[in-house]
Amino acid sequence: MIEVKNLHKKFGGLTVLNGIDEHISQGEVVVIIGPSGSGKSTFLRCLNLLEDVTEGEIYVDNELINTPKVNINVVRQKMGMVFQQFNLFPHLTIMDNITLAPVLLKKMTKAEAVKRGQELLERVNLAEKADAYPAQLSGGQKQRVAIARALAMNPEIMLFDEPTSALDPEMVGEVLDVMKDLARSGMTMVIVTHEMGFAREVASRVLFIDQGVVMESGTPQEVFSNPSNDRTKLFLSKVL
Amino acid sequence: MTGISVWFADFCDLFYKCFIKDDRYRLLVSGVGVTIKVSLLAVLIGILIGMLVAMSNLSRNKLFKAIGGIYTDVIRGTPSVTQLMVIYFVFFASVNLNKWIIAAIAFGVNSGAYVSEIIRGGILSVDHGQTEAGRSLGLNAFQTMTRIVIPQAVKNIFPALCNEFIVLIKETAIVGYVGLMDIQKAGDFIKSATYEPGMPLFGTAVIYYVLIKILTLTLRQVENHLRKSDAR
Repeated sequence: MIEVKNLHKKFGGLTVLNGIDEHISQGEVVVIIGPSGSGKSTFLRCLNLLEDVTEGEIYVDNELINTPKVNINVVRQKMGMVFQQFNLFPHLTIMDNITLAPVLLKKMTKAEAVKRGQELLERVNLAEKADAYPAQLSGGQKQRVAIARALAMNPEIMLFDEPTSALDPEMVGEVLDVMKDLARSGMTMVIVTHEMGFAREVASRVLFIDQGVVMESGTPQEVFSNPSNDRTKLFLSKVL
Repeated sequence: MTGISVWFADFCDLFYKCFIKDDRYRLLVSGVGVTIKVSLLAVLIGILIGMLVAMSNLSRNKLFKAIGGIYTDVIRGTPSVTQLMVIYFVFFASVNLNKWIIAAIAFGVNSGAYVSEIIRGGILSVDHGQTEAGRSLGLNAFQTMTRIVIPQAVKNIFPALCNEFIVLIKETAIVGYVGLMDIQKAGDFIKSATYEPGMPLFGTAVIYYVLIKILTLTLRQVENHLRKSDAR
C-alpha cells in the first residue's frame, strides 16, 4: 500500500532522514517510536508530502507520489492525517469541520456528508457536539473530532502524528480507545507516538527510528521484549 | 458676567461671519461630500490593491514578489502629497476623469501599500497548522486560503483596517493641492475670504473630528459583532 525507497530529507544542512526503506501493507497498524529529533514525525509527514522529499521515492497504491506529475491533492484524499495540535478549524462548527472537505471536494452532497458526519461523531462518542465550536471542547474531544474529520473523507490510510502528546493525561485514554477501535476495524494506520503500552497492545509492527534511519522493525513482542539493536535497548530502558 | 456675555457676542458675530454670511457653510457641506466620496472610493481601491499585493508578496513567484516589494517600498518612502501630485499632474494629465476620482485613485494607491502589509500580517497570524490540516484533507492551496485561512484572518485584520481607514480620511485633507474643495480647502477658503484664521480652522477641525468619531463608533459596533461570534 505504501512503499518507501531510500527516503532522504534534509532541512538546509541538517539531515533528518538518512535513507529509509519501508513497506506498509493494507491493514497494518505500524507504530513508530524513537527519541525526539529522531525523524519519526518527519517520516510520517513525508508520506503525504507535507514535507517535500529531498531524495528517494514514495509509492502509494503503486503510484509514485513525489513527482510534479501527480496531483498531490488527490493522493491526500486517500490519506487522513491527525495532528498533535488537533488543528480543528476554529471558525466552523464541529459538523462543518467534518463536512467541509467531502462537500468541497465533491465526494458527497451536503446531506450525505452530514449523515456521515453524524455517524462518525457517534463513533467517537461526540454526537451531541455537532453544533458546538472547537473552543467549547476539551483537548481529548477535539482530537476525537479531528479523527472523525479525517475519516469523513473515507481514507484508505490514517496517519497519526503524536495524537496524544498535547493532551492532559486523563484525556489520553479516550483518544487511544477511538484509535484502538479504528485499528480493530481493519484501517491501515501509521502512528507516531510515545504511548508504549498502546504500541504493545495495538501495533502489528513497531518501527524504532533513530538518527534518521529505521534501527529496528518487528512485532511489538520482538521489539519490546527482545530488541536486537543497542540503541533500541537504550531507548526502551529509558521509556519503559 | 459681562465679560462672558461680551465674549459670547463676539463669538456669535464671528460664527455668523465665517459660516452663515454669504452661505459660507455650503462650502463646508459640499467639502464634507468631497472628503467622504474620495475616502470611500480610495478605501475600496486600497483594499483591492492591498489584497493583490499581499497575495503577490506571499506567493512563490519571484516576479510578483519583486513588483509587490518595489511598490510598497516606493509608496512608503515618499510623501503622499508628492504621490498625489505625480498621479494627478503626470500620470493622469491627459486623462479625462473627474478630479475626485483621480484623487481617490491616488489615495487608494497610497493606502494599498499599507493595507497589503496589514493583510499579509493577518494571513501570517493564522497558525500554519490550519493550512496543513486543510491540505492534508486534500484541499488545494486556493481552497485552503479562501475557506480556512482568510475567514480567520479577517477578524485579526479588521481593527488595523479600520485604523487605516481613519488615517486615510485625514490624509485626504491634502486634496486641495490638486484643486479639489474638500473640508480642509473649504475652511482655508473661508479663512482667506474673511481674514479670520481661528474660527474657520477650528470649524474644520471639529467637522473632521465628528466625522471620524461617527466612523469609529460605527466600526466598533461591527467589530463587536465579529467578536460576538468568536466568544464560543
